[in-house]
Amino acid sequence: MARESNLIKIVGKSNYEKLRSFKCLIVGAGGIGCELLKDCILMEFGEIHIVDLDTIDLSNLNRQFLFRQRDIKRPKSTVAVNAVQYFNNSKLVPYQGNVMDNAQFPLNWFKQFDIIFNGLDNLAARRYVNKMSQFLSTPLIESGTSGFDGYIQPIIPGKTECFDCTKKETQKTFPVCTIRSTPSQSIHCIAWAKNFLFGQLFTFDNDSENDNGNDWGTDDQAEIERIKQETGELSALKNIITAQDESRIEQILKKLFVDDIEKLLQIENLWKTRTKPVPLSILIIEKALHNNSGAHLNENSLWTIEEQVNKFIQSIKSLMLRLKKEKIDIEFHKDDKDTLEFVATAANIRSFIFNIPMKTLFDIKQIAGNIIPAIATTNAIIAGLSTLTSLRVLNLLCYAATKSATDLNMAFTAKASNLSQDRYISNPKLAPSNPYCPVSSRVNRGIIQITEMGLSTISLYQLTNLLREKYIFPEEVSILDTSDNRLLYDFDFDDLEGKKLTDLSLGEGSVLLFSDEEGDGTDLKFKKPIEFYFEIASGPLENEILLPQIESSYITARRSLHDETSEQDLREPQDKSKEDQTIILDEDEETAPENKRLKRPLPEESADEVTEEIRKKNKISEPPAEDNVIELD
Amino acid sequence: MITGDVDSSLSADEIALYDRQIRLWGMAAQARMRLARVLLINLSSIGTEICKNIVLSGLGSLCILDSHAVTEEDLGSQFYLSKQDVGLKRLDAAKNRILDLNPRVNVTFDVQDFSSKPLAYFKDFDLVIGTQLTKNEMVRLNEITRHFNLPIYLTGSNGLFGYIFVDLIEFHAEEQKIKSAKATAVGRISDSVEVTEVVEKKDEEKPNKVYEIVKTKHTYKPFVEVLSKPTLKNKLSRRQSKRLSPSVPLTLALFSLDEMQDELTPQILKNKALEICERLEVPTTILSNEYVEQFVVQRNVEFTPISAILGGAVAQDVINILGKRQTPLKSTTILDGITLDMPMFEF
Ligand SMILES: [Zn+2]
Repeated sequence: MARESNLIKIVGKSNYEKLRSFKCLIVGAGGIGCELLKDCILMEFGEIHIVDLDTIDLSNLNRQFLFRQRDIKRPKSTVAVNAVQYFNNSKLVPYQGNVMDNAQFPLNWFKQFDIIFNGLDNLAARRYVNKMSQFLSTPLIESGTSGFDGYIQPIIPGKTECFDCTKKETQKTFPVCTIRSTPSQSIHCIAWAKNFLFGQLFTFDNDSENDNGNDWGTDDQAEIERIKQETGELSALKNIITAQDESRIEQILKKLFVDDIEKLLQIENLWKTRTKPVPLSILIIEKALHNNSGAHLNENSLWTIEEQVNKFIQSIKSLMLRLKKEKIDIEFHKDDKDTLEFVATAANIRSFIFNIPMKTLFDIKQIAGNIIPAIATTNAIIAGLSTLTSLRVLNLLCYAATKSATDLNMAFTAKASNLSQDRYISNPKLAPSNPYCPVSSRVNRGIIQITEMGLSTISLYQLTNLLREKYIFPEEVSILDTSDNRLLYDFDFDDLEGKKLTDLSLGEGSVLLFSDEEGDGTDLKFKKPIEFYFEIASGPLENEILLPQIESSYITARRSLHDETSEQDLREPQDKSKEDQTIILDEDEETAPENKRLKRPLPEESADEVTEEIRKKNKISEPPAEDNVIELD
Repeated sequence: MITGDVDSSLSADEIALYDRQIRLWGMAAQARMRLARVLLINLSSIGTEICKNIVLSGLGSLCILDSHAVTEEDLGSQFYLSKQDVGLKRLDAAKNRILDLNPRVNVTFDVQDFSSKPLAYFKDFDLVIGTQLTKNEMVRLNEITRHFNLPIYLTGSNGLFGYIFVDLIEFHAEEQKIKSAKATAVGRISDSVEVTEVVEKKDEEKPNKVYEIVKTKHTYKPFVEVLSKPTLKNKLSRRQSKRLSPSVPLTLALFSLDEMQDELTPQILKNKALEICERLEVPTTILSNEYVEQFVVQRNVEFTPISAILGGAVAQDVINILGKRQTPLKSTTILDGITLDMPMFEF
């Protein structure tokens, strides 16, 4: 019997030949990616391409089974491909790069794949790959894990829900007053130390924390004034750091942990319902300054307040020295010992003052560094589910033909996530695309072919007119560069009209959103927006530009839909400016996978009821209209 | 989340290497895992997955027992084998690749047949895993683990379908969960699970969040009993039994026909499965000819994605019970690889 004989019992002879001719893309060579690569090889995909930006880290080795200690700091994608050679029977192509880099990975490059597997760890890349899948109608199998929890979701463009059809949980944010005046949990103190204090003291440009136009979370003017004043006073502390004046470290401690607390206590309104903070004892500060020793402390044990102050002083000294030597901003990084110890001890001293339990360095590292627990088993299960379901997505199972995309199943770890005691995995059927989704429903898509000459001679004004005429849009339209959400044109912003496309940095891979801002006059019907991908033409073009054929279609007015959209579990429009108003524990290399959405089943429900629930929901929501089909020229 | 209690037996290097999982199950569980001695029988496709997951996790020691030689077919579902290895003992071929995976785990290899091992051989292990075994081998192995009071996991696949049988004899689990409106009551919650103690615990930072630490006692039947009189009477709602995956009766039916070789036909299997449906008290209409045919064609077939799911589930449960985290699997878990359904039963 041959290597493929078992596989043929599952897919049949002719589908096996198809499988050998298929090309798949694996995005990410991390925990899920390594597993996907192994599974895809043993499933005999003809060609497997794998992309990853990262290099290997020690903490990867507990699950990314293709990597060894000797591979640390080497690129994941190439190491992974080298590691599988001895059992490989497919053509493997590794890439080190960011999948969102459209110079390295233009839409044209994505076109070659029959299916895409996501093994990603961040929302931005997931959204981007989802969009590419929608542009090309290429099936995508989305997945994610976090500790024991994991999910997979096949996405069949035009037929099933896309990644953006449901609202994703975003970073947790806190009002300014909670962080600056009234912390009640250690996470508030960690956010204060990491996002506010650290930036104030160790970066030269302090724009990161602008006090104007904030979501204060309070109306108490006295408190707002105090916060503003405090920010100003911190720049004085910054001078102590830059002057590398160790004798004045005492001032820093007294300012942060005594004086500022006393000022807070004067705002009596704040403490009517809260426990009052207690300023740090001067005695502790002086004692720590006088016998400051470099005693080794275990990062897994809880240090005393004296030890915290001691370590805080040491970390300031090390950072001062570095700031002087390196002369550039120091940024917080969880694996940078000095910065981590500074943040952890500052947070703990503040916790102590506010009567909040202190935490170990190990625990603070997890919170401040956004570390997501990760294990081999969950990744193996999730990658197994992804690759298994790819056979149904590609309709290759010889005994179970895929009749409809909505007969396919998503899956999540029901038992491990404590959602069911009767199922290890739950498998709700895929839902159709959400009719209000801005990515898979409320947009048409097409590719604009343009020459280099076209880019440098066609102005934005000319392009707008061409689009308006070709797709019969009314006078009032807008054009948005979606890569950076930059508004290029609308009815009261025409400053850029005269610019040539190259001057607007448009070129290969640019994605423009062309929208009707006028409607048909009744305010009910608008032309469906069109998203255009710019591709540099391979040969000459008449008029230097070629616009795609797109079926004209309408959507109902956006304004009147707001109430409905909230019902539809639709993600909120991204409002950059709003994000800046709140303090965010910023994203790190390992961002939480957005798998929370799969927890929509209530914990008490059995999977059957869940499926029923989702089915009902689907019946209520409108089926996708005919005009949702993506037209590509 | 880890609290202050630290087990000093883990070195700083180990903590750094296992960081992402220690953050999930804690230092104490990781330290307990390091003491465990596990026997894995058969480096099959699932066995390979289990081996990889267990060695990565940093378990104390793993002994792999397998007397098979590498076949061409093995190359299609096992990633520790290479084309050049056909004809060699599987363990000889895979040995160095497994040892390279995590030098901290003591892995030993034994190329003898498990049936040739004396009873005493098994008493030096804390847990036994058997993969892709025949029914008689499974029954025999379970007798041995019962004799020494050892937990056992038995797993295997039939193409797109798979099963896990667990016999932990008696197991005490402890789990922390957010308290719902109704407190968990002490007492029997099913034939095999009993809540023995419930302790409330407040979140030290968020006083309005209350947790419950629920202690449960799980009693298991031997594999042979699970096979001899399985029933789902009063265990499923009408809708649940109508939607039961045909892979459940078909998997059980294949065990009943274990002795049959090539003479197994779809009709024989179907008749047996119908019989089992009746015994389970589920509608016979759930059986479709496509499923029956697949089970005949794909009997004992190993397939990597299925192995990855089963191997992941078994390894995780082994880690959980050794680290004393989460409640264990029920006695029987069946995977339907077409629908991705994976129900658990106490037959
Ligand atoms: Zn969508």
